[in-house]
Amino acid sequence: MNTAKTTLRRQNKAQRLERVARLARGKFVSPDKVPEVLKRIIEPGDRLCLEGDNQKQADFLANQLATLDKKDMSDIHLVMSCITLPAHIQLFKKGMIRQVDFCYAGPQGTAVADFVKAKMFPVGAIHTYNELYARYYIDLTPRVALIAAAQADRKGNLFLAANTEETPAIVEPTAFSDGIVFAQVNEIVDKLPRIDIPADQVDLVVQAPYPMHLQALFTRDPAAITDVQVLMAMVALRGIYEKYEVQSLNHGVGFNTAAIELLLPTYAERLGLKGKICKYWMVNPLPTMIPAIEAGWVESVFAVGGEVGMERYTAARSDIFFTGRDGSFHSNRAMGQLAGHYAIDMFIGASLQIDVNGNSSTVSKNRITGFGGAPNMGCQPTGRRHPTKAWLKAGAEANPGPGSPPGRKLVVQMVETFQAGRVPTFVEQLDAAEPSIRKALHGVTPVMIYGDDVTHIVTEEGIANLAACRSIAERQAAIRAVAGYTPVGLKRKKRETEELRRRGIVQLPEDVGVRPAEASRSLLAAQDIKGLVRWSNGLYDPPPQFVDW
Amino acid sequence: MEKFAKAFPSKPLAAKTAKPWALAGVVGSGNLEVLLERGGRPSDTMECHVETSIPGYKASWLAALADFAHNYPAGGTKVTINDQGAPPVLVNLRLRQAYDHLIKGDK
Amino acid sequence: MTRGPLFHEQTARQRLAALVDPGSFDELLPPPERITSPYLAQLGIPVSFDDGVVIGKAKIGGRKVYIAAQVGQFVGGAVGEIHGAKLTGLFKAAARDKVPCIVVIESGGVRLHEGSAGEIAIAETMRAIFECRAKKVPTIAVIGSDIGAYGGMGILSTCCDFRVMSEHGRLGISGPIVIEKWMGKKAYDSSNRALVWKTSGGKTKYLLGDADALVHDDAGAIREAIAKLLGKSSAVTLKAMKTRQKELEKRLKRFGQTADPDAVWKGMGVRNIEAASLASGPEFAAMAKRGK
Repeated sequence: MNTAKTTLRRQNKAQRLERVARLARGKFVSPDKVPEVLKRIIEPGDRLCLEGDNQKQADFLANQLATLDKKDMSDIHLVMSCITLPAHIQLFKKGMIRQVDFCYAGPQGTAVADFVKAKMFPVGAIHTYNELYARYYIDLTPRVALIAAAQADRKGNLFLAANTEETPAIVEPTAFSDGIVFAQVNEIVDKLPRIDIPADQVDLVVQAPYPMHLQALFTRDPAAITDVQVLMAMVALRGIYEKYEVQSLNHGVGFNTAAIELLLPTYAERLGLKGKICKYWMVNPLPTMIPAIEAGWVESVFAVGGEVGMERYTAARSDIFFTGRDGSFHSNRAMGQLAGHYAIDMFIGASLQIDVNGNSSTVSKNRITGFGGAPNMGCQPTGRRHPTKAWLKAGAEANPGPGSPPGRKLVVQMVETFQAGRVPTFVEQLDAAEPSIRKALHGVTPVMIYGDDVTHIVTEEGIANLAACRSIAERQAAIRAVAGYTPVGLKRKKRETEELRRRGIVQLPEDVGVRPAEASRSLLAAQDIKGLVRWSNGLYDPPPQFVDW
Repeated sequence: MEKFAKAFPSKPLAAKTAKPWALAGVVGSGNLEVLLERGGRPSDTMECHVETSIPGYKASWLAALADFAHNYPAGGTKVTINDQGAPPVLVNLRLRQAYDHLIKGDK
Repeated sequence: MTRGPLFHEQTARQRLAALVDPGSFDELLPPPERITSPYLAQLGIPVSFDDGVVIGKAKIGGRKVYIAAQVGQFVGGAVGEIHGAKLTGLFKAAARDKVPCIVVIESGGVRLHEGSAGEIAIAETMRAIFECRAKKVPTIAVIGSDIGAYGGMGILSTCCDFRVMSEHGRLGISGPIVIEKWMGKKAYDSSNRALVWKTSGGKTKYLLGDADALVHDDAGAIREAIAKLLGKSSAVTLKAMKTRQKELEKRLKRFGQTADPDAVWKGMGVRNIEAASLASGPEFAAMAKRGK
């Protein structure tokens, strides 16, 4: 037995903690000592994980890290889900980073694209969330993880509040491989409402001088939903939700799906769909779901993250949301993504670009945003074995061969044919296929959802059932048929479109029983944020930028 | 501003409609108004007049109007459009709304 | 829980259809007549077939009315020459025929592209409104739209006998951005939506007595309020003007130095500011002890 080798890493951890012992009181570090502590616990060559997804950020620790110089910290391999803070970009500017493996770069997408061009952003790969979390257990295990929690007690137990998100997915692989876990917390208390991370897995704690950054990412003001989005929502409800009897699902974060949520208690209720569709959700606590929940549509909601302002509402509706024994909301990004991968009938979301083969992407020439979680859900999980009505029906339509699964997850892209400013959504080739981007990603085109996985595309023109297409040429024709008056759409052939429509592969709104003249915002259960607050009986506390009363 | 007019072949409009004219939409940013009128024109074409604040999209306008004339019996009607940069989808929606109102009346 | 469409989101034509008796609306100068603004056309700005205001004859609860509705989406509902002439003509006809006249306002005031013509038109409409009032013909302004009633249209609304508002409606002379430009962001932050509505919104206007009814953001509720006011008119007399002047002096003295709109609400008898903020128009009206 080679015990010498296995104890080496443990000894190294002990040495690192020894170096900061005089700077800390037990596990607790004062904020002004943080830069020095970081300098001493991080070694050249380390894999470093900075917690931060598209909502929650260990921003104090990130900002302190950004004050260090290259002589203090270098040759770092960053493994982190989201590059979203200016502080993250600083690390690249200072040349500290040897390699980065990440998932998403929303607000910093432009900076990332610039740094990629300047060859200052050495990407290993852009991942999906669960893919990166999985690699934390295989070949990307963090040596040091800087995380964020709501509260710590005197022993260093952590309470994560509504935004548990990815903390467990980072802490576990780090803590169980003799890595160092350093947590910033909003406050230190005597007794926690509940323990989400045991003190045993936490090495250092700092009470940050300001609370961690939380982005109100999922708040969609119903006032911004357009009639066209209502039309698309009606078409999707009739042509997909009703047709397949979709019981379990995930919604993206856009206005298109917000419109669907707000049509459930009105339009869909009139269609008699209550109890038949939309019962089980894997979705964040979206404020636009309040009316459907209040109207009794929803059985359960599991979430990857919280949402600012939904704390009191979710606590009051603990029969629907997952909550801790303290009564407050609980989320888990890794488990939520897993649920979204295996356990739902349908994923429906939007995209910036869709090519003629049905591949979609949010990358544009000047902006690299990456993936986040959508591809974990917007794909066919061929490991799935349990049947549901929707899964079997979609599977039968796809005409499975002797070596393919009998069912299919519904993977739906819902887009308007043009983005704001008359930029066409449908293109012959994705911007993501740009050679310089492919080269930086070692030959991988950053496709969000692969065309082969997509079963339906919904636009204001109608529905294209890609799963029912029998050839690539047919799929392309179906996509052109719903691509409207974009250059891709203008290339459609009338006779081809009519043949696809006859076979039900292309359906216009009329074909699924939707009268476009009826499409109006007045069908929405709530037409503004105040309406949502009223539906919630005053339990929803919207962020101030949404309040006009 | 760009102005153009064209007539498209279309099957004759129903002999009876609820109204002699119908208006859908408003002229506002990213929006348009469509005035659809019946009467006094050859019954096998839909006559279209477009005034748009954003020049350069004539091809997609004509394609959208041609499709509408093809998909709906609108022969004998006159379509007049005042546009302030509406996307084609809204052009379609307003045309359908105006047509619906013309045939079935305001609802 | 679900109501009809929100009034502030409806288009002028939808509002009219919902306010009057079904099928009773008879539009004057309808779109097929194509009476459009020659000024906008010259400037290369899109025109509209109704020049941003729909006018006509109708019935409300079986009573004959003349009614106009402005189209806020079209150049901000701003009043140009034709738009203004349509309003003037309608109120003049109301005075002549002794038919109550209603104007559904959604306008920032005069259309800058046709400045003098718009200014004069608004002045002429006010004169026609006073003609109505001299003849005891009821005039009612409805303010419940996204843009509100500002500038000349704000003043015009106060010339009418009555103002019906929803919580969504706003009434003022200078708009929020103009106030911020003159007074500075510190004094008035126009991006603070809560502040804007607390200073010029329907609830505050009702508290201060500038609005005569505060109703749901819903055409049915507005129609009801109009129906109640149709039989009434309030004469413009020297005595009435003097009383109003005194009221306004008192208000200025009481609240003129106040920077916090909540203080005005409290001063006017609102106890629970948070609940009142979230309350619907009628709930608010019931909660507030209306000060005089």
